[in-house]
Amino acid sequence: MKNKCTGFILLLMVLALPSYAQWSVGLEGGYNQNALYTNAGALSFTKYAPLHGFSVGIPVQYQVKDWFSIQADPQFIQKNYQMKRTQFFEGIYQDNLNSYVKLPLMGHFTFGGEKLKGFLNLGGYASYWAMGKIKGVQADIFSDIESSSDTQQYDRFLELKKGYSYNESYTFDDRKDNRLELGWLAGVGVSYQYKKYQFFVEGRYYQSLTDQQKDYMINQVPRYNQTYTAQIGCLYQFTKKPKQSSSSN
Amino acid sequence: MKLIYSILAALLVMGVVSCQKELPDLEQPEQYVVGSFSEEFEAFWNGMNSNYVFWDVDPTDWDAVYTKYKPLFAQLNINRDADIRKAYTYYREMTANLVDSHYALIPSNNALLDSATINPAYKRIQKRSDFHPGISEQYYYNYVYQYYMGRNGLRSIDSTAGSVMVAGKISNSVLYFHFSQFDIKSRYENGSTADRQVLQYFFNALNDNSLTGVILDLRGNGGGNLADLNFLMGSFTDKAYTFGATRSKGGPGRLDYTPWIDAKVTPKTGARSFTKPVIVITDQYSVSMAEITAMAVKALPNGNGRVVGERTWGANGPLISNVFYNGGQFSTALFNLVYTSSQMLRYKDGIVYEGVGFPPDVTVNLNIPSFQAGRDNQLERAITLIGQ
Repeated sequence: MKNKCTGFILLLMVLALPSYAQWSVGLEGGYNQNALYTNAGALSFTKYAPLHGFSVGIPVQYQVKDWFSIQADPQFIQKNYQMKRTQFFEGIYQDNLNSYVKLPLMGHFTFGGEKLKGFLNLGGYASYWAMGKIKGVQADIFSDIESSSDTQQYDRFLELKKGYSYNESYTFDDRKDNRLELGWLAGVGVSYQYKKYQFFVEGRYYQSLTDQQKDYMINQVPRYNQTYTAQIGCLYQFTKKPKQSSSSN
Repeated sequence: MKLIYSILAALLVMGVVSCQKELPDLEQPEQYVVGSFSEEFEAFWNGMNSNYVFWDVDPTDWDAVYTKYKPLFAQLNINRDADIRKAYTYYREMTANLVDSHYALIPSNNALLDSATINPAYKRIQKRSDFHPGISEQYYYNYVYQYYMGRNGLRSIDSTAGSVMVAGKISNSVLYFHFSQFDIKSRYENGSTADRQVLQYFFNALNDNSLTGVILDLRGNGGGNLADLNFLMGSFTDKAYTFGATRSKGGPGRLDYTPWIDAKVTPKTGARSFTKPVIVITDQYSVSMAEITAMAVKALPNGNGRVVGERTWGANGPLISNVFYNGGQFSTALFNLVYTSSQMLRYKDGIVYEGVGFPPDVTVNLNIPSFQAGRDNQLERAITLIGQ
C-alpha cells in the first residue's frame, strides 16, 4: 500500500517538470472545518464532531505552462475536532486543538480568461503535528452534588457530579501518536490578475491518508483528518510574464 | 496533452483515496451473540481492549494474548463442560498479571459453579513476604472496644453484612474509629440507631479540644462508596485540598485517556480545620476506598496526617458502572461480571500505586505471636506516634 502511495506522489512530481518558468510568491489565510474519519468504537453516548480552525501560508508558484503551474504553500494549519458525550452525559466534552506545519505540493491548473481565471489544484501534502491543546469538561468522580429533596430527578450526569474544566497543552505519547501526516488535496477557486498581483479565493479539501495513531494495537480504530478550507490570498509575480501562446496542446 | 494531464491527475486522486485503513466494527461485549468460543473470546478480548483503564501502566502484552489464545479458544466447544473448564484456565492465565487489583472474573456458567472467582490480586497478595491472614472484625468489635478503649465509646454491628463500627477514646484523649466498609454516609442517613449513634459520637468528638489526635483504623476495610470520602475526610478540613488525580478512557484505543483531573477532598459544611495528628492504620487488606482515604489523610493540608502499618492491597482505581466514564466493568456470556476499575488514580506524588499498594510512612508489620497474645503492635505504634 505504501508503494502505491509513493508511486502516485512521484507521478505528481513528474507532471511538474519545468519547461516554462515564472515564479510567484504570496500570502494566504483561511478558515477551515476539520473532522475525523473514525468512530467511537463501542463507547456509549460518545461521538466525534468537527471543529473550526484557521490556516496561514506562503504560496510559492512556478509556472510551467500558461495553464499549468506547480505550487507549494508551506503553512501553519489547525486541524481541530471534538469528542463529546451525548444525552444524559451532555456537557462532557473535549476539544482537541491540533496545530500542524504543512507542506502541500500540487499541480495548479488554470482555465478561463486573461485576468479572471478559474483554477483547479490537485496534489499531496506532508505535515507534522507540531503541538496540541486540549480543553473541555469531565465529571469529577469524587464530587457529589447533594440532592435538594428525596424526589429530585436528574436529566444530566453533571447534575450528580461536578464538572471539572481544563485547558492545557496536549502531552504527546510516543507509543501512540503518529505526528507525521501524509495525504492528498484538491481545491477549486478563481483568481484575478492585477498587474503583477494575482488575488485568489479558493476552497480546498485535505484528506489524510495516514492514521493519526501509530499501529500499536489489534482492532485499532484509525483516525484520519478531513479538512475543508476556504482561503484567500495574493501572489506576486517576480519574473516578467512571457507572451502568452494562443492555445495549448 | 492538457486532457492527458487532467486524466492522470484524476487517477492520482482516485488511487490515493484507497490508501486508508478500514474502520473496525466494535461493539460492547454484552452485545455479542455467543454461539462458539471464538465469539466469546472476541467479546472478552475486545471488552478488555476497550474498557480496561490500566493499559498505560500494565505489563501485559494484550496483543500477544490475542495471538496466543485466539487459536486455542477456536479449538474449544462452548457446549462441552470440559471445554468450558479449559477456557476458565485460559482466562486465569490471560489475566494473571493485570495490575488492576479490583480485577475479578465472576463465572456465570453452570459448568463453573464450583470454580472460584478469578482474582489475580489475591494471588499477588499471597506472595507478599509480609502476608498474613486478615484480622477478624470481631477483634475490633470486642477486643479493641474492651481492652484498648476500656468500653469508652460506642459500637454497632451488622451481623448480616458481617460489618462493624467502633468509635471511642483510648486513654481518654485519642479518638479511635474503625469500620469494616465504606458505607458510613448511607448508614448515617438510613442505618440503624446504633449506626447513627456511633457516627454522631465520632463527628462530635472531633470538636473535643482535649483530643491529642485521631486514629482511623482501616485494617481489613474492603472499600465501598466514593461518597464517603468527603463525608469522612471533609470533617478534617475547612478548605478543599488535592490528594491526587484521576483520569478516564478518552477513546476506544488502549492508550486513549482524558487528562488527569484533580482528586479533591471537599469540606463538609461547617467543618473546622483539624490540626492534631491524624493517623490511619492500614494493612494488606485495606482496599480501594480504604487506600484512597489513606492517601487523603497523608495529604491533609496541615501536614498532620500519617499512614502507619502495612502496604495496602493496591486497588486504587475508583469504580462505577461502565457507562459513566466509558471504562471499567462489563460482562460476557461466560462471566456475570468482569469487575474492573472505571478510572486510574494517582497520588499527588504522581505515582500510580495500582497493583503495588500505598506504602505507609511508618511500616509496622503485624506481629502475629504478639497479636495472638493480646498485643496489637500496629495499634500501639499508632498510639505512640500520636503522643510524640
